[in-house]
Formats: sequence, C-alpha cells, structure tokens
Amino acid sequence: MRSEAESFDILGRALAAAKADEADACFVSVDQNISRFANSQLHQNMSEEEASLTLRVILDGAMGVATTTGFDDEEIARTADVAREAARHSKAVPGFQGLYRDHEPVPEVDSFDEATAALAPLAKAQALRTMFDRGAAAGVEFAGAYATGASSIACGNTHGIRRYARMTYADATAIAIGQAGSGFATRRERAAAAVDVPALGDEATLKATLASGRTEDLEPGAYDVILEPPALGEVFDWMNMIAFTGQSYEDGSSFFVGNLGRRMLGENFTLVDDAVRYLPFPFDMEGLPKRAVPIVERGVLRTPVLDKAWADRLGLAPTAHAWHLGSPEHGSAFHLTMDGGDSTREAMIASTKLGIWVTRFNYVNGLLEPRTALMTGTTRDGTFLIRDGKVAARLPNLRWTQSMVEAFSNIESLSRERRSIGTWYNMFGGTLAPVVKIRGWNITGKQEKSEG
Amino acid sequence: MGPERVQLEEVLASLANPSLRYADIRYTATHQQHVKVRNGEVDHLSSTVDRAVGVRVLMGNGWGFAATSDLSEESIRRVARRALEVAAASNIASTQQVTLSEIEPHVASSHSEYRIDPWSVSIERKLDHLMQATEPMRGDPRIHQVSGEISCYRQEKRFASSIGSFIEQTTTQMGGGIEAVAIDGAEFQRRTYPNPFGGDFQAAGWEFIEGLQMPVKALQIRDEALALLAAPKAPAGRFDLIVGSAQLALQVHESCGHPAELDRAMGLEISLAGGSFLQPPMLGTFRYGSPLVNIVADATIPGSIGSFAFDDDGVPAQRFHLVENGIFVDYLTGRDTAPVLGRTSNGTVRAETAARIPIIRMTNINLEPGETPLADIIADTKRGILVETNKSWSIDDLRLNFQFGCEVAWEIENGRVGRMLRNPLYTGNTPDFWRSCDAVGDRASWQIWGLPNCGKGDPMQTMRVAHGAPAARFRNVEMG
Repeated sequence: MRSEAESFDILGRALAAAKADEADACFVSVDQNISRFANSQLHQNMSEEEASLTLRVILDGAMGVATTTGFDDEEIARTADVAREAARHSKAVPGFQGLYRDHEPVPEVDSFDEATAALAPLAKAQALRTMFDRGAAAGVEFAGAYATGASSIACGNTHGIRRYARMTYADATAIAIGQAGSGFATRRERAAAAVDVPALGDEATLKATLASGRTEDLEPGAYDVILEPPALGEVFDWMNMIAFTGQSYEDGSSFFVGNLGRRMLGENFTLVDDAVRYLPFPFDMEGLPKRAVPIVERGVLRTPVLDKAWADRLGLAPTAHAWHLGSPEHGSAFHLTMDGGDSTREAMIASTKLGIWVTRFNYVNGLLEPRTALMTGTTRDGTFLIRDGKVAARLPNLRWTQSMVEAFSNIESLSRERRSIGTWYNMFGGTLAPVVKIRGWNITGKQEKSEG
Repeated sequence: MGPERVQLEEVLASLANPSLRYADIRYTATHQQHVKVRNGEVDHLSSTVDRAVGVRVLMGNGWGFAATSDLSEESIRRVARRALEVAAASNIASTQQVTLSEIEPHVASSHSEYRIDPWSVSIERKLDHLMQATEPMRGDPRIHQVSGEISCYRQEKRFASSIGSFIEQTTTQMGGGIEAVAIDGAEFQRRTYPNPFGGDFQAAGWEFIEGLQMPVKALQIRDEALALLAAPKAPAGRFDLIVGSAQLALQVHESCGHPAELDRAMGLEISLAGGSFLQPPMLGTFRYGSPLVNIVADATIPGSIGSFAFDDDGVPAQRFHLVENGIFVDYLTGRDTAPVLGRTSNGTVRAETAARIPIIRMTNINLEPGETPLADIIADTKRGILVETNKSWSIDDLRLNFQFGCEVAWEIENGRVGRMLRNPLYTGNTPDFWRSCDAVGDRASWQIWGLPNCGKGDPMQTMRVAHGAPAARFRNVEMG
C-alpha cells in the first residue's frame, strides 16, 4: 500500500511522460494475505505486495494503453512510448467526448479499516485453528479460504483530476464436510472484525449435518427453489458479464439491447450498483464519483454499466464503472445490491409444498443463449428437499438449465436480511443479496457417483 | 533487468531458521500484448509488463509464501522474511506431515522456439492482418459484429532452490482468432475460428498467426453464423454423438485433466471448483473409459503452450499416461503431493507468475489418436449428431455431471452429414460418457489446442495449458 504523496508522484510522472492530447493513469497497490485450508489444515498461506501502473494516452480521440510494475522514470517513459504507439495505430472511438474533467466531489465513504490492514497471518491462523477444533468436535472437517487485504488506489488525468483512496477487505469461505454431506457459509466485508470465521464454520456445520441420514432423489422437472445469497452471487457474476457490461450492450448480446425502459423482469426485482453504501468506494478508475446506479428497477431495465468512452459512444449517461483503463468490458458492476423483501428463509420453507433449498451453485455458465440469459450450473454444499413446509431430506447435487429473464420474473418472495458475498475477480466489491424463492426452476439432471 | 542468480542465491542463504526444510525463490518477467479489431475499428490495443519475485519456504509442516512486484534488494529480503513469518503462522493450523519427493538439483537454461519474434512484427502489420481477416465478413445487415484478435506472450523465469537448482526458462507464445456475430430478431449466433476466447495458441512466433490463415477462413465463418440464424434447433433426446477435435479438447480438459489433479483429489481445491471423483484407491483398476481411450500428460511437446523444461518445483518435464486403454493409471502430481501415493513428482507444479504459489496444473493433456478416419466414423453412423467448437461449459464439483454447448452441429443420417443445427447441448456423466466411446479419430483429425485461460487457485491463477484431441464418437449421449 502506498501513500497519497507517493501515488500522486507516480501518477504525475506518468502523465507528464504521456506527451499526448489527453492521458489518464491509475496506480493500484495491494498488500494481501490469503490463507487456504482443506481437511482442516492450513495448506497454502501467501502474502503479496503488488503494485501496478496503467497509463492510457489519447491521440486524436484514439486510445492506447500500457501497464507496468516498474515505476522509475526510464520504465515509465518506456510504458508511455508503448501506449503512444498503440494510440497512433488505433482509431478514434466514435462519439468520444474526451476524458473526465468535471471535478465533481466524490462521496465521503469509509472504505478503510486500520485493524484489518494490520491483521497478521498469525492471528488469522489462530482463528482458523479455533474453527478447525470446533469442527472436530462436531465431526466435520473444513475447506475454504480466509483473505484479507489493504490497497491504495489512485487515478488522475491531464485535466487535473486526482483521486486517492485506501481500501481494506476481509473475505472468508468455509465448507464443512461431514458424513452426511457438506455445508457452506461465506461473507465479505470491509473490516475483518465483521467476518467471524468460527461463526461461519458453525453455520457451514449446521448445513453439513442437517437432515443427516435422510437422502432422497429428484426427477428432472420444474420446481420451486429457495436460493441463498451465494447462489444468487454466482448468477450475478454471469449476469454482469453477459448482460450489464457496456461491451455486451454494444455488441448486441445483452438482453438489455432494445429493452431499456421496458419491464422485462418481475416487479419485485430491483438491482442497484451501489458503491456508496455497499462495500463503499468513492470513485472509478477514470475518476468519476461513484453513485448508486439502478440497473433494474422494479423489473424495468434501466441501464448497462459503462466507462466514459462507451457511454459517449452509445449516447447514454456515464455510470462511473471503469474499473480498468482500456478494459474490453467497457464497464462492470462490482457493487451489486439486490433489494430484499419482507420474508424470511424459514417462512419460505414453511410455504413450500414441494421444492428445493439451495445453498450455492457450482460452475455456472451463462453463454448458452445470452439474449434470454439462459444459464446452466449445478448445486453444491447443501441441497435439500422441502416437502410440506419442512426440510425432508438431503438431495444429490442437481444440474439446472434456466433462463434468468424467466427466473427473475417468477420471484415469489424475498428475505429482508441480506448477505454480502465476494467474487474472485473483483477486489473492490461483491454482491449483496437476500434469500429468494423462485417458482418453476428447471432441474435437468443430477450428480451420479460412478461405481468402479 | 531483474535479480541475477547470485542475488537469488544470497536471499536463499539468508533464510536462517532451524525449522527450515526447503526454500525456493523465483523471478518472472511476463510481457503481453493484445491487439483486437472490431467492425473495422481498432477495439483494443494494450501492452503489459509484470515483474515479480516470490519466495516459498517449508518450515516444519507449514508452507509460507510471499511475493512482491518491487524488485529492489530491500524489498526482496523483506519478502523472504515475510515468507518465514507466514510459514510460522501456517504451523499454528497445520499438523499433517509434509513429505517432499526426492529430486536431483538441476542447473539448466532453456527457451521455446520461434521463427519470427512476435514483438518484431509491427502493430501496423498485426492490425492489417486482422483487418484482412475480418473486413470480408461485413456487409450483410444481419452480421452485427465481426472481430479478430492477436495475442503475444513471453515469460522469462529464474528459479533457485535450497537444494542447489538454478533454472532459467523463457517461453514465447502467440494466439489469434476471428469471430462473426449474426443477429436476426431475438436470434443471436456467434461463430469463431479456430476457437473462441481468443482463438488458438502455440509456443511460436508470427509464423503461427500466418499459418492460421484467418483471412482464408473468414467467409466460411460468416456464412455459418448466418446459416445458424435459420437452422433448426438441435433436438433433445439420445443420439450417437461425434465430437470434433476442438470441443473434445475441452471435454478432456474438464472431465479428465482437472479430476486427475492430485491436489484436487486430496480435497485441497474443494473451496473453489471442487474435488474429484477420481480417488487414489481407483488407481490401476478404475475403468474411466472404453479400451480405445488413452489420455497422456506430456509437457515435452515442442511448440505447445503446455510445455516447459522444468516445473516450478524444479522437476523435469515428463510424459506419462493418465488413462491407459481406458483404465485410470496416474495423477498429475508435485513434490509435496506425490508421496501420498508412494510416488515421486511427475513435474506438473506451476504458478502463473512469481507472485503466485506453485500448484498442480495441467500440461498438455492429450487424447491419443486412434486409427479411424473421421470420414469413416461419419459413414459408420446411422443416426447421430456432429458437434464442433465450444460455446458453454459446466461440470459439477466432482467432475462427474457435465453439460457442454457448442457453436454448431450437423445431423448425421445414414452415414452422411445433413442439416446444420443451432444451439446444441449435450450432457452426461464423465465415466459413462468415456466408456461409451466406440471410435477415436486417426492422426489426421488430431490437433493440439492451446488454452491460455485455465483458472485454478486462490488468488485465481490463469494458466496456459493445451490439449491434443482427434474427433471421436460416443454412443447414446443425452442432448438438449
């Protein structure tokens, strides 16, 4: 993690070296420690101090981007040469109005926790040891990861924009594995104090031991499902890629194309990218202030998420979603918050005559038919049969193939409580989601263990 | 640039701790360039240089790893001390005995071959090549997007270990591909050549890009994308399925390569993409596929992006069977996992860069060719479906239940290729699927495919692997 002065010095030297009509740059420094465990053993434990500088130059409206991990004057000059050469061979982005220059204030948010930044690997290992010991008493072993990090993020451009913020995160996942099956719990927060690792272990253990000794099978068909936040998080990771990005809107693959302002999903479905209130962060890498951006509002499609160049190109309002300069996605939603409702998970189970309670999904893929957001995946780490309002049995992991346009039009109820879920590709934010009950989810197969 | 041998060895020598059992230090400089055109415009032009040093130590039974992108001597020494601190923490929550398989020290230097240095070819020439390959595909109003991309990759690596190895390796790779996207109303179809997600990749230079002949293939890709708009949907039901080489390569990746990783089988990767149905007691007896199925891990193939001279444990690259005549016979292993089987490492441990922990990764995992020409397989199929080019992939947390979608399919009726079909999906259970294999294509249909984006680990490491596969036929597979 670097100071504001050091970060601005590097940015300033990079922008000076750009020698272009316009230029912007971002400098990101990350210190992180990730402790991975399996079989209740801490088997991988890594710390990293990493920093990188990305410089984008604009020549006659055309862009070139170069990234380096070296910051002396010679390396910065070489990086600027590479970026300029790229821009010289590029073409102007149609409609591009130039880099951000409005100097609006950024929201005052609390994105840094000193205690998390100072958390030593030893303290994390001790928390894991506590979880492992509790698991041994309950007859389960744990697998998962406990990650903490502190970052400094700075960006600026040749119009005088300078932004700097520090950010921490703490993210833990715990899979409890016992005789009956496995269970899962996870949480991501800004402060490690909000991520109680042994408590996550207890939650996972409860799922691993629930309905122990009772297993049933299920034929393919359409069923009511109760999806926990981690399952929704997996789906939203793919929705982000195939439907929300500027690129998917521009290339025609997103179901948002031609449908902005139309109600395509259920009235009880609202999805907002909100970096002001959820895992807060004040600006994007182009320096635009973050704000809450409704993506879907009561079922009505509002906007894709965009970097400035693609907002200009598409004639849409900028949404401040440039997380990498020159990113081919041209905008990604890293702070997705789904509105909850007034129900509870227990009430959803009680109201279900025949259905499936799903803890999480595995290996979702959203490329089947992107215009309907048709996806497939399997369930894992706790899939339960609900019959007559009660947890009747454990189910094998199930394959499903389901259009999300259809699914998010068929939400029966949502919980008031929401959970923050991390994503592997996104250090800035995550997904905040409730538990939802959805009618008519298509189960298409199941995991069948093979005999030798 | 970057620390030299003497500096790396001095850092190792400075790691004085009575509990220290093993240490290594790596330096990597990873250079990448990516050029993409879209609809007659330059869509993306970027260049990246990533330099890192990583130190890995084993103290007692605790592993510690620390890395930095700051190459100053002070920073590297700080990272080395940090690795010891992390290993000490690991010992708090790690009680299992760690045993390392024996290895000889090696001092070696190697580099992959290329004829035309990727960085010697101007950006202008790369763009011209892509424009020539994509512009002919434009014109029809239903063609919404055409694009093409070229990637250049070079990684220089230095490795020194406490057993006295010092190994320098450099790999240079290129990749490229084109795609056409056709839209008609609600119908959206994408066709790519030679493969989606950036195309095909080899450890080679510009000569590989020229050899792909993308400008020659462009109109076929456009025509197939347009034809898919009006093609009937692939039917649901059970069919004899002929899987083309590129799609079968991904099937090998997901349903054999990943489950044969010993760390996955031991549960060490469960928290991400899951475990493996292939468990150690099955070695040597489990019928994974029909007797026609031979799957080999071979890190020694010249020109493939899954090849190297030494892995990141300092173990020499090797060739060995994972599946022999249909029987599961070996795993991909490393020095700290192979002893669990009573074996020595077969050299498959790698890290994306020096900033990441080395873990077991696929090399070149190949389905060996059989003896039947593809034309004969088709002629011998009464009622079937031929699928080509991956579109979607999903497999469960034990690598058993899978579903793949492909860009295109064709009906096979009475030994002849018939109508084109859109949106084919097939699904099954891994061993049932491979046991149903009753025809494996000959060397003429076999090709090795570079896959530069295999994800594993936490933090996620994107590894460059490859798969050779012919076309093959599978009986009575569920479609739809």
